Amino acid sequence: MMMHSNALNTNQIMRQVMYALVLGIGAAYYFFGWGVILQITLAVVTAVVVESAFLSLRKLPVKPAVSDGSAILSAILLAISIPSIAPWWIVVIGVAFAIIFGKQLYGGLGNNPFNPAMLGYAFLLISYPLQMTTWAGEFLGLSQVIDIIFNLTSVDALSGATQLDEVKTQLALGKVVAELDVHSISQAWINVGFLLGGLYLIVRKIITWHIPVAFITGMVVISSILYFINDQIYLPMQDHLMLGATMLGAFFIATDPVSASTTPKGRLIYGFLIGVLVIIIRVFGGYPDGVAFAVLLMNITVPLIDYYTQPKVFGK
Amino acid sequence: MLNQSFNGGVVIDNPHPVDTVGIVSAPLPDKVVLPLQQRIGDEAIPCVKVGDKVLTGQVIAKTEDHFCVPIHASISGKVVSIDKQIIPHKSGLKSKCITIESDGKDQWAEYKGCGTDFLHCDQATMIEYIQSSGIVGLGGAGFPAHAKLEGIQDCHTLIINGTECEPGIMCDDALMQHHPREVIRGVEILLHICGAQRAIIAVEDDKQEALNSLLMYCHNERISIEQIPTKYTSGAEKLLIKALLDIEIPSGGFAIDTGVICQNVATTKAIFDAVVDNRPLVSRIVTVTGSGVESPNNYEVRLGASFEHIVSMSKPNTHQHTIRMGGMMMGVDVKTTSVPICKITNCIFVNKLETKPSTQECIRCGQCNQACPVDLLPQQLYWYAKSEDTDKAMDYNLADCIECRCCDYVCPSHIPLAEYFSFAKALHRKTTEDQYRTDIARERFEFREYRLERNKQERTEMMAAKKEELKKKMANDKVQKDKIAAAMARVKKTKKANDDA
Ligand code: SF4
Ligand code: SF4
Repeated sequence: MMMHSNALNTNQIMRQVMYALVLGIGAAYYFFGWGVILQITLAVVTAVVVESAFLSLRKLPVKPAVSDGSAILSAILLAISIPSIAPWWIVVIGVAFAIIFGKQLYGGLGNNPFNPAMLGYAFLLISYPLQMTTWAGEFLGLSQVIDIIFNLTSVDALSGATQLDEVKTQLALGKVVAELDVHSISQAWINVGFLLGGLYLIVRKIITWHIPVAFITGMVVISSILYFINDQIYLPMQDHLMLGATMLGAFFIATDPVSASTTPKGRLIYGFLIGVLVIIIRVFGGYPDGVAFAVLLMNITVPLIDYYTQPKVFGK
Repeated sequence: MLNQSFNGGVVIDNPHPVDTVGIVSAPLPDKVVLPLQQRIGDEAIPCVKVGDKVLTGQVIAKTEDHFCVPIHASISGKVVSIDKQIIPHKSGLKSKCITIESDGKDQWAEYKGCGTDFLHCDQATMIEYIQSSGIVGLGGAGFPAHAKLEGIQDCHTLIINGTECEPGIMCDDALMQHHPREVIRGVEILLHICGAQRAIIAVEDDKQEALNSLLMYCHNERISIEQIPTKYTSGAEKLLIKALLDIEIPSGGFAIDTGVICQNVATTKAIFDAVVDNRPLVSRIVTVTGSGVESPNNYEVRLGASFEHIVSMSKPNTHQHTIRMGGMMMGVDVKTTSVPICKITNCIFVNKLETKPSTQECIRCGQCNQACPVDLLPQQLYWYAKSEDTDKAMDYNLADCIECRCCDYVCPSHIPLAEYFSFAKALHRKTTEDQYRTDIARERFEFREYRLERNKQERTEMMAAKKEELKKKMANDKVQKDKIAAAMARVKKTKKANDDA
């Protein structure tokens, strides 16, 4: 009996999200080169191996769980969040951590309170801050990247810090915002890529607009307030929107349904507060970008948000 | 057209549409099986014995309870047995039934009602006729119609539900197209009984023919006909009232609490027959549809005839079938087509056997809460139902779930959510009230079966995969062994050659 709508099933949803990532990944490839692709490949292989191994250990059927695509998606999200020239073991450790501690130990897909990719990312950032903040400065070819990732050459010549990092350093040196060149063509294009992919997901009804819109609103509101208070040391909101992992975070990371709030009103609150936290961490925190920590912090509050934002039930 | 509606719901096209919605009169069945247990109330007590001759419309069983309606013979002939038979219920249990074998004459017992100028009859007489004719809600609920009409005060609006409760069902559409006069006159009778100022007949906006034929016969300014959007669960009483009047029946309350009475169109027509002629209800219109029949259709058929009697007229194809009474969403699966048609049988779905897509974990995507017509959070309910934490589930308003399965329908992980909810409800009842002990046992048993079945399936899949792997490995090993053997043979040969030399 046809008891299910013709809408997408869970596996297809995961696949659609991966397709939507293509534009952003393409932009990253254009600016940073083969490292991006290589990191994704390493991440996906690690995810499949770790997930399969863990499922066999738990004596659960491997194939359905691996083919639902959720582990692969987490791996891709983590891979595009880390520097494209990070050594190979960074991504391997990060993905393994994400799958085991972010997902499987909680009982697998659907049971994890934290966004696995961001848990992996946070773990890496705390443990290996140097490797996690050294970015490629230019397009790198495949052989160059292989040399770097597998530790055959030193990276110094080809790398730099991210724009957000740079801004921080410069401000610390006493410069004011007006003197800085904060615009980064590469980061702007990558953000545009993820923005377009995200809009595709909304059009395809794979995600709802609530979280991304609230996320961006949160960022705009708080950064505008700060900028209004002191435009010498705080960036204007348009720079914040086009730097770092903003769009990736708004459309792909904060929207991970499993670890996000699930009520319509709750999603607005959840998204908004993540946006606010991202700016606060960027501006006042010790790390260059705030998406991962903002998402993880808000993950903790989800049960509370969900409980207090239940829709009004018919007739109540 | 309306502007208010309820949230959620799902739009499902009729999966097996027909060009013209007709009604075929099914031939008299050779025998009928009439269950003594009705939807509500105690089991009726037979007032005939095996061997008795009965006339069509003759009362053959009744209860003392004024709330219940008597049971009538639906054909004339001979009572051949009074015993337990399988009835169309999801438990598949047997229940006591009276079986009548037809004499082929269809001789009716006498009846006499208010006549066509029924307005001279008083309300009490009308209600009595409605009861003695055996009218119950024909939309699927089976609630005795007279019980809904007795002692009414302050009813301002009467709603006549002309929406098919579910996609695929066409019997009410057919009734409105072919008996519009009786429906309109039935509404007038109901207005007379309940004293409401106005009546609204609700028709879905894709049923233009039904609307037109009703309009043709409707010359009463107290009766209006409204179109409502065709979406699933519009037919549910509370949601229909919300859509038409923007009144929300309080959770746990009834329509009459807000001054509204709701009746289904088929019930309205039956009420017309009952009041004008006091003719007992011995037949109803049933839709036969589904992927398992070549020509879906509506049949006017005697109560107690077997499902098979009309399914065979819709040309079932040769595949293996599943049989479902009621709609694809809220109906119940029955095991065979030998069960009898009863007053609540609005539709028989005959479907080709299909493998269900396998269930996956909930990813909290929120599709389900967008589809829920009563604005629940099925994903949260599921979480607590699964862990049998019924208190928490009740906190999330489990009790308000109408088990419409809209959430199941949209869930990308194909979780049978409503099944979990009905289980959780039963579990909750158990912890609060002991009298439901048997109920829960059944639910639990069924649910356990389902779980066991699912586990088994998963295990078999796993075993199959393992076997496959083993086979491959063995094949591999064999290749290896062959290779080694070949190498050994070669070594031997060379050695021998060397030795020879
Ligand atoms: S639709 Fe299914 S997968 Fe999505 S939140 Fe609801 S129960 Fe979970
Ligand atoms: S079955 Fe219950 S929870 Fe699911 S959509 Fe219907 S009312 Fe909502």
